[in-house]
Order: sequence, then C-alpha cells, then structure tokens
Amino acid sequence: MAIPDISVADSITDVEATRAPRRFLRTVFGNRKAVVGAVILLVMAFVAAFPGLIAPDDPQAALYAQNAGPSSAHLLGTTQLGQDVFSQLVWSTRLTLIVTLIVTAIATFLSTIIGVTSAYVGGITDRALTVFIDVFLILPVLPLLILLAAYLPPGVTSLVIVLCITSWAFQARQLRSQGLSIRNRDFLVAARARGERGIYIILVEIVPTMTSLIAASFLSLAVYVVGFAASLQFLGLGNSSELMWGTMLYNAQQASALEAGNAWWALSPGAAVAVLGTGFALLNYAFDEIGNPALRPVRRKRRDQPPA
Amino acid sequence: MAVPAPNSSESTGEPLLRAVDLTKHFRLGGMFSKQVLHAVDDLSITVAEREIVALVGESGSGKSTVARLLAHIYKPTRGEIYYRGRPLRGLRSRRDLLWYRGEVAIVLQDPFSAFHPVFPISHGVMRNLALHRPELSGGERRREAERVCETVGLGPRMLDRYPYEMSGGERQRIGFAQALAVRPKLILADEPVSMLDVSIRVGVLNMMASLRDREGVSLLYITHDLASARYVADRIVVMYAGHMVEEGPTEAVLSNPKHPYTQLLLSAAAEPSEKEAEIAADSGEPPRVINPSEGCRFRWRCPYAIDKCAQITPQPTPIGATQVACHVAVAEAERASNPASITR
Amino acid sequence: MTNPLLEVDELTVDYQTESADVRAVNQVSFTVDPGEFLGIVGESGCGKSTLLFAVAQLLSPPGEIVAGKVIFHGRDMVRLGRGDLQSMRWRDYSIVMQSAMNALNPMKNIGAQFKDTLEAHGNVSKEDVRRRSVEVMELVGIDPAHLKSYPHQLSGGMRQRAMIAMALLFTPQLVIMDEPTSALDVVAQQSLMTKIKDLQRSLGFAIIFVTHDMSVVHRYSDHVLVMYAGQVAESARTDEVFERPLHPYTRGLMSAFPSVRGPRRELIGIPGSPPDLARPPSGCLFHPRCPDVMPACLNHAPELYPVGDSQVRCLLYAEEARKAS
Repeated sequence: MAIPDISVADSITDVEATRAPRRFLRTVFGNRKAVVGAVILLVMAFVAAFPGLIAPDDPQAALYAQNAGPSSAHLLGTTQLGQDVFSQLVWSTRLTLIVTLIVTAIATFLSTIIGVTSAYVGGITDRALTVFIDVFLILPVLPLLILLAAYLPPGVTSLVIVLCITSWAFQARQLRSQGLSIRNRDFLVAARARGERGIYIILVEIVPTMTSLIAASFLSLAVYVVGFAASLQFLGLGNSSELMWGTMLYNAQQASALEAGNAWWALSPGAAVAVLGTGFALLNYAFDEIGNPALRPVRRKRRDQPPA
Repeated sequence: MAVPAPNSSESTGEPLLRAVDLTKHFRLGGMFSKQVLHAVDDLSITVAEREIVALVGESGSGKSTVARLLAHIYKPTRGEIYYRGRPLRGLRSRRDLLWYRGEVAIVLQDPFSAFHPVFPISHGVMRNLALHRPELSGGERRREAERVCETVGLGPRMLDRYPYEMSGGERQRIGFAQALAVRPKLILADEPVSMLDVSIRVGVLNMMASLRDREGVSLLYITHDLASARYVADRIVVMYAGHMVEEGPTEAVLSNPKHPYTQLLLSAAAEPSEKEAEIAADSGEPPRVINPSEGCRFRWRCPYAIDKCAQITPQPTPIGATQVACHVAVAEAERASNPASITR
Repeated sequence: MTNPLLEVDELTVDYQTESADVRAVNQVSFTVDPGEFLGIVGESGCGKSTLLFAVAQLLSPPGEIVAGKVIFHGRDMVRLGRGDLQSMRWRDYSIVMQSAMNALNPMKNIGAQFKDTLEAHGNVSKEDVRRRSVEVMELVGIDPAHLKSYPHQLSGGMRQRAMIAMALLFTPQLVIMDEPTSALDVVAQQSLMTKIKDLQRSLGFAIIFVTHDMSVVHRYSDHVLVMYAGQVAESARTDEVFERPLHPYTRGLMSAFPSVRGPRRELIGIPGSPPDLARPPSGCLFHPRCPDVMPACLNHAPELYPVGDSQVRCLLYAEEARKAS
C-alpha cells in the first residue's frame, strides 16, 4: 500500500516564514517607543566605551576654578574641588552601566533558574522554593542595608551584592507562573517521555520558550537597578572615589552643592539616571508586543482603488 | 544496545505488552483532600507484536491516562505493566528507563503544541536519536532522521522547518517520525488524527497501517472514533469511565456488540451514507468518577440495567470471541448456550 | 414559489495582513429559503467561518467585506447602519458560536445571560423574562432549574444547548450555527443534532449550519454548499451531492470517511493541504491536489457552472454547461 506522496505540500503550505531574529528586529523597529529606547541605550553604550572622545579632561583632576557655573570650557561647571562636572558625568557612564548590567544579569539568571525549577519540579520542592522566594521578596531593604553597611566595605562589590540579593525575587515569581502555565504542554510531556533529564528540560526545553518574558524581566529590572543603585550610593553605601552617577550625587550632597548655587552638579547625575532608566523602559515596550501579539496595533493599509 | 534483551516474546508466548489490573487514581484539590478521581480502574490490556489495538472511549473515559501509564509517564496506583515479560516496576536505573523509552514511544494528540516552538522540527527527532541510538555518528544521525521522514511520507527538507511553518497533518507525521527514530516495537498513539482535517486523516491512518505491515511496529491507537478504529485496528478495546467494557477482534466486536455502551457508540457513529437511522435519544455524558461506589458505572444510562448492576462491578468475561464486562450480556450468553435453563 | 429568506450575492471578504491581502471569501453566492437547512462544509481554512461572520455582519478588522450583498428581508445588510442592524439582531436572525465555553460569560448564571439578551433587544417585563427563559430551556431539554447555574457547572453538551436556547429567545426566522457540535463527544453530538432538527420542524426556522463533518450534513441538511479556499466548489441538494458528487474535491471528501458498517475498503483521502491564501495557486485553486487535473486547470480559473439543479466550479463541466445554455 503506497503512502500518499505529500511532497506536493512543500510548495503549498509556505506559511509566512519569518525566522526569529528577523521577526525580533522587525518588532523592535516597528515600535517607535522601542526605537527611541534603543537609541538612548546605544548612545549610552557609546559614551561608556569612548568617554575620552567626548570629554577629554581627566574627571578627577582638581585643576579648575572651584564651584564655577557652566561655561564654554566647563559645560556643567565644576565641583567644589575644581573638577569638571561634565567630564565626571561622562566618565561615570561606564561603571554605572557595567554595574547595572552585571546586577541585572545575575538577578535575572537567579530568578529564571529558581522560578522555572520551582515550577517544573513541583511538589515539595516547589513549596519550599516559593517560601524561599517570598522571604526575599519581603526583606526590608533599608534595615538590611544598614546592617550590611556596617560589615561590608563600601564600594562597588558590596553594592552589587546587596542589589542582587534584594532584586532577584520579584521576577522569580513571574517566571514561576509562566513556567507553571507551560508545564503540561505536550512538547514537555514528549521530552519527559523521551527520557530527557530534568536539568536538560529546564535549560533547553523551557527557558528558550520564555525568552521574551526573560528579556522583558531583564529590562524592567534594569530600570529598577539603575535607580536603586544611585539611591544607595546617594545614601552613602558607595565609595565616593569611584566614578558613578550615584557617587556624584553623594558628593554633591556632601558639598551642599544646591545651597552653594551649583545646581548642575547636583542635578545632572540624577537626570542621567532618569534618562538611562527611561531607555530601558522604552525598549521594554517592544517585548510586550512580542510576548502578546494581541497588543499589536492593527495596521490598516489605505485602499488605493475601489474594491472590484 | 548494552541492556541484555529479555526473552523474545515469540519463544515464551508472552505478548509484547501486557497490563494487568492497571489502576490510576488522582487526588483532587491538594494534599489533604479526600476527593479521589478514579481515572483508570482494573484495566487489563495486551498488545501483541505486529498488531494494532484500538482503545476506544469518549473523553473522560481514561484512555489518555492509559497511554501515559504505558509510556511510563505516570506511575500506576495499582496493577502492573509487563513489557516482554519484564515488569516496569523493576526499571530503576536511568539505563533501564532509557531502554524502555527506546522500545515504547508515544505520539501525542495535539500537533499544534507537541513541538517545541522555538527550535526547528528536527529537534525532537535528533534528540531521540542522541538519547537512544548513541552508536550513530553525527552524519549517520542526520541520514537516519531523513530516513524516518521518508517513512512517514515527508520530504527530508521538512526537517529544517519550524513548527509554525507546517500544517497539522505534516506535524502529526513528524510526531510519528520522532517515535520511529528510536526504532520502537510499540507506538502509543494518543488520538493522533482527532485534530486533523478529515481528508488528511486517512493518509495518516494509512501510514499507521503500513508501519505495522512494513516496519513490524505494533500500535496502540487511542481514539473516540469507532469508524477509524475499525479502519486500522486488528482488535478493539472499549472503555467507559475508567473501566474496560468490551474487547475483542475488530469485526467480532463491531458486527455483534454485546455491551450496551458499545451498541450506543455504534449507533451514534454517523455514517456518510445512511440517513436518519433509529437511535435512542441518549442525553447522558460520561461521568467524572470521584470516590465511586461498587457497581457498573454505565448503569444510569443503560436501558437494560438490573439490580445486580448497582451492587457488583461487572468483570470482563469471555463471550465467544470477545470479552464483555456486563451482567446482562453474560446472563444472555449463558441462557443462549444453555437452552435447558431458559424460563419463558 | 416563496421568496428566499436570505440571499447572498457575490460576497467577498479580504483580510489585510502585514504582507498581503488574503481573500478569505471569494464571490460566494447562495440563497436560503424559509425553513430550509443549509449545510456549509469544508475543511479548516476554507473560509466557512469567515463567511458566517460576514453574513451576520460580525466581522471586525483586519477582516472586511469588500464586495457583494447580503439581502435579508429585502434589505442589504452590508449597507445597513448600526441602528437598523441592531434591531434585526436576535429578532430576525441569531447565531450560535462554535464553542459555547468561550461564548458564555463565566461570571453570570444562565438566567442572567438570557435576561441580558432579552433586555438588549426589546422592552420586556420581569415576568416576560422569566416566562420566556423557562420556555426556551424546556424547548432545548434542560431543566429550568439550571437557569441559576453558572456555565462551568454544566457539561459541554448542556452548555451548547443553552447557547441554542439563547439563540431562540425571539424565535428568529434564521439561526446561524458555526460548528456547534465539534467540541462534543459523538453521543452528545447525536442527541444535540436530533434536538436541533426537532426544533426546526416545530418552530419552522431556517438554519445555516457550518461544519467539517459530512455525515451531519448528510443526515440533516436539505441543501449543501461545499467550500474550498474561500470559494464555492459545489452547491447542490443534499441527496444529489451524496449520490453523485461532481467536484473532485467533494468526491475526495466523501471517500475520506471510513465506515463502521459495510465492507472494509482502502481509502485514499486527498493528498496535500489546503492552499496558503496569501499565495494562491494559479488557475483553479484545487488543481495541485486534484486527481483529475487537466492542463487547462493551471491557467483558467473555473466559474460556477450549472449542471442540472446543481452548480460546480470545475472545468470538467465547462463543456456540459456551455452545451446546455
């Protein structure tokens, strides 16, 4: 008995075949907000990579007139030690961005692994891990900080540790929910039936289906981290000699810059933080649409000729 | 293959797969609830080599649970499954389990969610080959993947497509190709054609029959459609509410159904060439069996129910070429074979 | 000769997607007489559901009616304003959706949903609402006590019956049903169809019934429309179609049903799959899968040719039709 030859189907069913990377780019560029966000982040990345091209002055050299207002030589004025504020702002971009990305990456990684494992393994492990996540969710951050500040040396490393501990839990819950919803999808049942190991299933079968959610988590977490890192440094957890926007805020505060009339010094790092956060937030809009096609606007084309 | 082969079924007369008193219960509503769902109760079923057995029942009958039990995805609450004489309970090590999964493969119902959405369709096939045919090199695996593709009637270029680029019928065939990649002796097919268009179904059914004839693979075909069961199966097992109610060779069961439920299914299986046949207007639905009592689970819908049906659960009893779990049918058969005891 | 209740004339529906416009319904014409049971059959992607939505004026973007008329009670519904349409909805025609699970509001009980419908389309007193709700429940064979039940408390078959009851609240002249039995088991399907046919006989409404199940169409319908790739492939009286299917696609569909009784024979089905309407084949849309394909089929798109009382869209009958006219 011949098996009907359906190779003819090759030519017929050619469903719109856009592969993932092309679809990704198209979605990002199709969304104006996301494009603005991407541009902001690219500019920041450039500034972080090549600060010398924009602000050749050594940011820490205390060479100039103190507390000077903005001028053509010093676009944002000088600090009370005579450092160029604009240079400081530009050169701080690098460390700020690096810290943000490292913390967000670690926290996203932790929340993914813990959330998905909890959802997939189920049972008692799930309950235990959920409690674990909840504990970290309700940790009171400020008292913890004060405690840690007493023991940890001030600086970037401590900042990274503290931020990672306090920010991974939120997304873990979200990712766990998503994991629960796909847990009984047939392709996962099929993977179990094949004899795949649990770790393999989590890493290769489940996590890749959640990439847009993970990307969205990453971006929204980044917004939080940017702001919170600056706040922590403002409160004194950072090392004031490290070049970051948060430490600039701290130094400006310590020198009572606002009262001294040196507003640019006090406000520009805060503005920079806001812009960076906005960049991440705007880029995140693209992922809402990837994740949920129902949110895509229905683009109606103009009819050029009347219907036949 | 490193695992020593158990005795071949031909020499011991043991069928390929034999389940005895298979039972699966699920606790509903958390760890402390008293509600127990009886998905499958005391089901005994066998599949021989080179045979297609159809497991027929409506949704809620427990047939999908049976598939997952036989595929060793669920563990039975009670009862035992023997594969070539080896009890599944004895499979402990990863090696043993992997061996079993290379012998018995499952094909799932929904071709739209049975594949990983992110990877190309070759993913499942290649993983199966990697796990179960480690002796093959990379190039050999690719060739083997193409070979199983052709066996199910698809061109080898299909392997590089993504699931969303393929039709339901094509995806279902790849499901079979995945199963074939491990060179199984038995394929458990859970409603493989229910979600396909009618004109595509026949092609897949024909393919299943040729797998039995040409590749020597046995199949357990799970379905709610009696007509397609008749088309491909050598034997039919009818399930209702977790119990087996009738089983036997296909023609024997369908030409002379003895259990009232089989009769009901048969009369409801609409024919394209019949018009307005006489059918009892039955408006019942299969029950969700939670904390059930003794007795036949069909009795509320049965036009022939007697007192005994509410008291004692009927057991499968041989009547002629078939086995039937029905007090009334058994009594009928005894009367027919024992004319002296007929009282008019 | 009674006037037809509904007349659909060259209806055409396009979907505007990002890449191309897809013609989901292509110049479909048919009529429905009062009390007639019209079955529309076809497989997934043939456009039958889109056609129903278009007839019922329920299409939303990106789908759009781009040509044709839907004449009901002498008025072209495509051109009617919302107010006029609203007054016709549910009173003159109603629609039963494919899966009742999605059409019923899970937060309200059945009685409340009936009440909403009754109040939306007319001035009714509380007593009227209660009386009519009980009436329709009894019509479809559900215990009226279930008016207090929520959808999730009812079985699939009962929910579908509740949908039909809702469709009959104003005793419309036309009920449109989109695969109402596909989510049901074979036995529940049977009893539901029997009930629908009984109701039709006693209340006298016309039915447009969309399904992929040929056996249902054969048993219950008076007239059949076979659709393929958005077009009418064949249109004929039911017994005609089943006795002498004309279009190769119809013949293929018929032969794709294994039977429970009768001789066991090998079936072929139809190779290939329905076409991607964004990139349709040239000439006849069925030609890549047709066992009787001729060279002309690749270039000429066939029209609907009359053959006796039936109509077929197939070049095999072009000659015959030309000779007859």
